[in-house]
Amino acid sequence: MEMLVEALMSILTFKGLITILVGVTAGLFIGALPGLTATMALAVLLPFTFTMDALQGLMALGAVYMGAIYGGAFTAILINTPGTPSSIATCFDGYPMARQGRAYEALAAATIASVVGGIVGVSFLLLLAPPLARLAVVFGPAEMFWVAMLGLTLVASLSSGSLLKGLMGGCIGILLSTIGVSPIGGETRFIYGIPALQGGITLIVALIGLFVVPEVLSMAAQGRGALPESGKLEGGVGGAIRKMGRHIFLKPVNLIRSCIIGQIIAIIPGAGGNVTSLVAYNEAKRFSGKPESFGKGNVDGVVASESSNNVMVAGSMVPLLTLGIPGAPPDAIILGVLLMHGLRPGLDLFTETGVLTNGFILSMGFAALFLLPVGLLGGRLIHRVVVKTPYYFLLPSITMVTILGTYALRNSFLDVGLMLLLGTLGYFLRLIGLYAAPIVLGMILGIIAEKGYVQTMLISIADPIPWLGLVENPLSKVLVVLVVLSAATSLLPAWLERSGRMAKANPDKTGSDKGSREEESKP
Amino acid sequence: MIVRLNTDLAAGILGLAFAAILWLPREELGRLSIIFPRAMIIITVLLALTLVIKAFVKPAERQVEIEGSPLRLIIAIAVLFAWWYAIGILGFLLATAIAFFGFTWFLARIETPVSARRLAMWVPIMALLIGVFYLAFTEILSVRLPTGSLWS
Repeated sequence: MEMLVEALMSILTFKGLITILVGVTAGLFIGALPGLTATMALAVLLPFTFTMDALQGLMALGAVYMGAIYGGAFTAILINTPGTPSSIATCFDGYPMARQGRAYEALAAATIASVVGGIVGVSFLLLLAPPLARLAVVFGPAEMFWVAMLGLTLVASLSSGSLLKGLMGGCIGILLSTIGVSPIGGETRFIYGIPALQGGITLIVALIGLFVVPEVLSMAAQGRGALPESGKLEGGVGGAIRKMGRHIFLKPVNLIRSCIIGQIIAIIPGAGGNVTSLVAYNEAKRFSGKPESFGKGNVDGVVASESSNNVMVAGSMVPLLTLGIPGAPPDAIILGVLLMHGLRPGLDLFTETGVLTNGFILSMGFAALFLLPVGLLGGRLIHRVVVKTPYYFLLPSITMVTILGTYALRNSFLDVGLMLLLGTLGYFLRLIGLYAAPIVLGMILGIIAEKGYVQTMLISIADPIPWLGLVENPLSKVLVVLVVLSAATSLLPAWLERSGRMAKANPDKTGSDKGSREEESKP
Repeated sequence: MIVRLNTDLAAGILGLAFAAILWLPREELGRLSIIFPRAMIIITVLLALTLVIKAFVKPAERQVEIEGSPLRLIIAIAVLFAWWYAIGILGFLLATAIAFFGFTWFLARIETPVSARRLAMWVPIMALLIGVFYLAFTEILSVRLPTGSLWS
C-alpha cells in the first residue's frame, strides 16, 4: 500500500501528468493513421524516452500504448479504416453510425468505452496480476488451437446473409495467412518464386487493402465523400456525450461483459487486441435483444469493441510483468524497456521495485482518464476535418496515407502493391457476398490455429492417434464444449429463421429482419 | 449498374480457383509445413463445391449492383495502380504530387468543370498536404521513402 501511495505521488507532479498527456496525444494521432499500429507508435517514440528516468519513460510508453489503441477507433468510425488491428470490430457499427450522421455519437461512445476499459484493465492488473498470471501458463498449443476455433465461430455473425460465403471468406483468410515461411516447419510456402513474399502477407496490409481500398473505389465511383455533411448534432457536442453516457451506463451489462472478455483474452499470450475486440463484438451481438441491428449502426457494437481492446492494454501486462511473456506485440517493446532499466519480470517487480511497477500501472490508469478530454476534443476536430473536406481532396489524401502507412510497415514496395491488389479484389468480392471481415478474421486466427495444431501434432507424434492430443487436457475439453456451444448458438437463429419457425413465433420481426438483411446485402 | 450474376456460382468458382492456385504448384514440402494448409485447401474445396451445387439448386442473389459509374470505378483502379507504379520510377514525392493532382482533378470534375484558376489555387494546398506527410514520415518516423529508379 505504501508503495502504491508513493507511486501515486510520483505521478501526480506537473512533469508526470504532462508526460502522460503528451504520450496519450502522440499515441492517439499515430494510432489514427491507417497502417501505423500501437507497436509502431511505441517503437517510434521509444528513443524519446532514453533521456528520461525509468518511471517517466515507462509512463510515456504506457500512455502512448493506451492512446494508440484508442486512436484506431477514429478512422474506423470516420472512414471505415481500422487505424490499428484492434479496431476492426469498431468499423462494423461505427462507420454505419457515421454514415447516418451519428459520427460524433460513435466517437463519444468509443471514448467513454475506452476510458472505462482502460481503468478496468488497470484495476485488474493491480489487484489480480499474480493469480491471473497462473492462468496464462495453462494455455498450451492444443488450448491455443481451440481458442482459435472459438474465434472462428465468429464467422457466423460476421457473414452478412450467407453463412457458406462467410465460411469461404474465413478459409480464404486462413489460406492467405499460410503464405510465406511456415511457423513450425520453417519452409517457404506458396511464394511462387517471389522472395519478397517469404515474410507472408501481413495482417495490416490485408486490413488496409480490404477495408480502405474498396471504400475509396466506391466513393470515387459514386462521387461522394466518406460521410454525409449533416454536421449538426442534436443537443450539441455535450448532448451527444450525455446521450452516449446514459446509454452505456444505464445498461452496463454489455460494457461489463466486454471488459471481462477483454481481460480473459488479454492474458492469453499471442491473442492480442484484434481477437479481443472481435470476440467481445460477437458476444454483444449474440446477447443483444436486437442482433439484426448490429452491422447497421448499433452503438453497443462500438462499445463492446472499444472497451475490450482498451482493457487489453493493461490486461496484457499481466503475463508480461509476472512471467515475462508479452501478451500482445506492443508488450514486447515494453518488456525491452523494462529490461533496459534493469527490471526483470516476476514477483520481485512488485516487491523490490514496487514503486516503479505500481507507478507504471497507475500511469496507464491516468492515461485512460486523459483519453476523455483528449479524445473528445481530438474526435471533434478530426470529425470536422473529414466532414468539411471536399471528397475530391479527401480521397487522394486517404490513398496517400494508406500508401505511406503500408510502405512504412516493412519498407516494402511490394506490400503497397499487395494492399492495392487485395483491396481491388475485395471490392469485387464484396459484390458477390464475400466480405472483408471473415477474411481478416481468418488471417488473424489462421496463424494461431496452425501453430497450435502443428505443435500439438508434434508433441503427440509418439501417440497411436496424434490428434487426440488436441482434446487431452481438461482445459482443451472445456474449450471444445465452448466451441460447440458457440457454434450452436450462432447457427441456431439462422436455422430457425430458415426453417420458418422464427416466422411462426414472431411474423412481424422476421419480416423486418428479412428486409434489412436484403438491404445489408447490397454493396 | 446492374450485372446479372449468380453470386453463389461466382463465389464457388472463385473458391475452387483459389484452392487450385495453392494446390497445383505444391513443392516438396515437409509434413509439418503442409499439414495445415492442405487441410484448409480441402475444406475450401468442399465449401466451394457446396456453393456451386447451391447455385443450381437454391441460388441466392442473381444480380449484383455496382453503385455509381463503372467507368469512374475502372479509372480509379487504374489511378491507384499507376500511382504505385510511378512511385517506383519517379520516387514518392514527384509521383504523389502528379497522382494527387490528377486524381483530385478527375474527382472534382464530376460535379462541375474545373477552371485553370481553381486548379492553380489547389497547388499550395496539395503541396502543404503532401509536404506535411512526407516530412512526418521521413523526419519523425524515420521511414526511408522510395526515391525512384529514374534518378538512381
